[in-house]
Amino acid sequence: MELVEIRRDPLVIVEPRGRIDTMAAEPFGERLTELIHGGSRHMLIDLQHVIYISSAGFRALLIVGKLAEEVKAKLVLCGLSAEIKRLFEIGTFMDLFTICASREDGMAKAQ
Amino acid sequence: MKKPATLIYGLDEIPPPFITISNGIQHVGLIAINLVFPLLVFRAAGTPLDLIAGLLSTGLVVLAIATFLQAYRLGPIGSGYMCPSTFTATYLAPSLVAAKLGGLPLVFGMTLFSGVLEGAIAPLLNRLRAIFPPEISGLVILLIGLSIGTSGLRLALAPGAAPFSAAEWQVAAATLVTMVGLNVWGVGTLRMLCALIGLVVGYIAAGFAGLFATTFVAVHDAAWLGIPLPHHLSWAFDATMIAPFAIASVAAALKAAGTIALCQRMNDADWVRPEMASTTRGVLADGAATAVAGLMGAVGTNTSTPGVGLAAAIGVGSRPVAYAVAVLFVLLAFFPKLTALLAIMPRAVMVSALLFTATFIIINGIQVISSRLLDARRSLIIGFSLVAGVAVDIFPNLSAAAPKVLVPVVGSPLVFGTVIALVLNLLFRLGVKRTVSLTLDRPEGAHQKVDDLFVRQGAVWGARPDIVKRAVFGVSQLIDAVDENCRKDGPMTVTASFDEFNLDVRLAYQGDLLEFPEQRPSADDIRAGVDGMRRLAGFMLRRNADKISSEAGGGGRALVHFHFDH
Repeated sequence: MELVEIRRDPLVIVEPRGRIDTMAAEPFGERLTELIHGGSRHMLIDLQHVIYISSAGFRALLIVGKLAEEVKAKLVLCGLSAEIKRLFEIGTFMDLFTICASREDGMAKAQ
Repeated sequence: MKKPATLIYGLDEIPPPFITISNGIQHVGLIAINLVFPLLVFRAAGTPLDLIAGLLSTGLVVLAIATFLQAYRLGPIGSGYMCPSTFTATYLAPSLVAAKLGGLPLVFGMTLFSGVLEGAIAPLLNRLRAIFPPEISGLVILLIGLSIGTSGLRLALAPGAAPFSAAEWQVAAATLVTMVGLNVWGVGTLRMLCALIGLVVGYIAAGFAGLFATTFVAVHDAAWLGIPLPHHLSWAFDATMIAPFAIASVAAALKAAGTIALCQRMNDADWVRPEMASTTRGVLADGAATAVAGLMGAVGTNTSTPGVGLAAAIGVGSRPVAYAVAVLFVLLAFFPKLTALLAIMPRAVMVSALLFTATFIIINGIQVISSRLLDARRSLIIGFSLVAGVAVDIFPNLSAAAPKVLVPVVGSPLVFGTVIALVLNLLFRLGVKRTVSLTLDRPEGAHQKVDDLFVRQGAVWGARPDIVKRAVFGVSQLIDAVDENCRKDGPMTVTASFDEFNLDVRLAYQGDLLEFPEQRPSADDIRAGVDGMRRLAGFMLRRNADKISSEAGGGGRALVHFHFDH
């Protein structure tokens, strides 16, 4: 899995690309944690290029989500494809995250 | 049944009278354009103008009965949904042939036959799906759309037809430009009623162009009020017309089933797949309506898919609106001047109306064809059948040269195209494996192999892409969960079996059984460690499949079975 980061200070847009599976979930989660510990308080995760997310990927998102809450950082997700949205729904995660349809909406929400 | 948030008035709710009536008027306005189909058939049979007006009045009563039958639930007939009925392009091509062959008695007799046949096949819809998979039913719809378009053009360009005058071309252009312009750039009601408005503009243009010079007297002579009664009725039957009307009947049944499924989805937030009981009742009502049409002197009817789309867009799906639509149709039938006005529709206006409606039917056919994964087999079936259907129109000598027994097949684009598709479909089933297997020795590359297997095989099987995606996720997630938590050494085997109604995936691996909880572990439990994550995986796998089971297979093996309803 590739991880692209775009800075629009004070916002950081993180764009994972590919599969967030057992192997990729750990480095994905670690990088997001690093960003928060490094001072980022406005983070947008754009999932438009993610084709698969497993339970490990959701766990990574939940850990980062909790951390963001603790440090009062804003964490927003956007760009969910129909399949990824379906996985969020079957995992009953739609209410646990702030999710926007488009990157524009996500950027506004995460500021 | 849970009412979706987008629905303002649900099926069993009673909206205020103004909403009910105004919605009813909108639906009638949407359906009005399709009166061009019976009009074309009546003209093809050489019917005198005053009789055409009378038949159109009876036709409006037929639409009222059809809409009522669908909504009311009379015995086993009727889905109970707000699903207006309309005259349909589906029966146009066979009706035109019947009109030329045996006049109106043959049209009415064969329409009655179609209605009875549709009613008879209503309980057999599932079996029909296996014989008419989407690539074939979509092809039928596509051929119907093409035939509407060519019927329209034939009015202007056929060798035997009187050439269009300059005024007629202008009227046709004005009609079509209005319809297209409002459809593309219009908003709200203007867009919704673009076909009807285009018709009105066409009539006004035709009036200015003097196209009503000889025909307007029929409107002048017609009474303002009159009782619509069936008259000049007789029925005939011709065995050579069985094939084209039977195919139209099957197409109408499948289309009605699809429209009822839309109604179900519109009214139930928890809708997952078509519910067969109300679908069967709905198709039965549709067949009964066509039979009534034949008995009362009209052409075949069908559920109005754009009507259901309109109801969903407005958010009003209440049954009282169906009754309002029925009442409005009956009221309109009492105005002979109105039906006389329809009866004198200039061919310039008809051409545009037919071309316009053809486009949406053609696109619907293409959408249905592409709703399944396509492989070489399916592509060849669609390609050859389409060419076969079109060839019949381009080369009329085909039927002249054919043996007498084959004339009903090669004489009709719809029949010829469909028969070719059915024959090729049966032939190409040779060599299609119902079950395929994959052995995964190592975790590396497993996901890609699984993806490749299901995408390739899904195309061979003609499976629904959404079901294939669910199967791929299920296997991938299980591989991840098992590798992480409970796999011992040894390969994992994946076996997938498919028929038109079921996709079953069976996995076997050396290791412990995975748990599939009914409740999701809490967010804290998931964060806490691998145990929570493993249970999350099991929970998602349970929710992903329609049925899931696992058992120990002896010798330390674990067996997991995912079932997906197709």
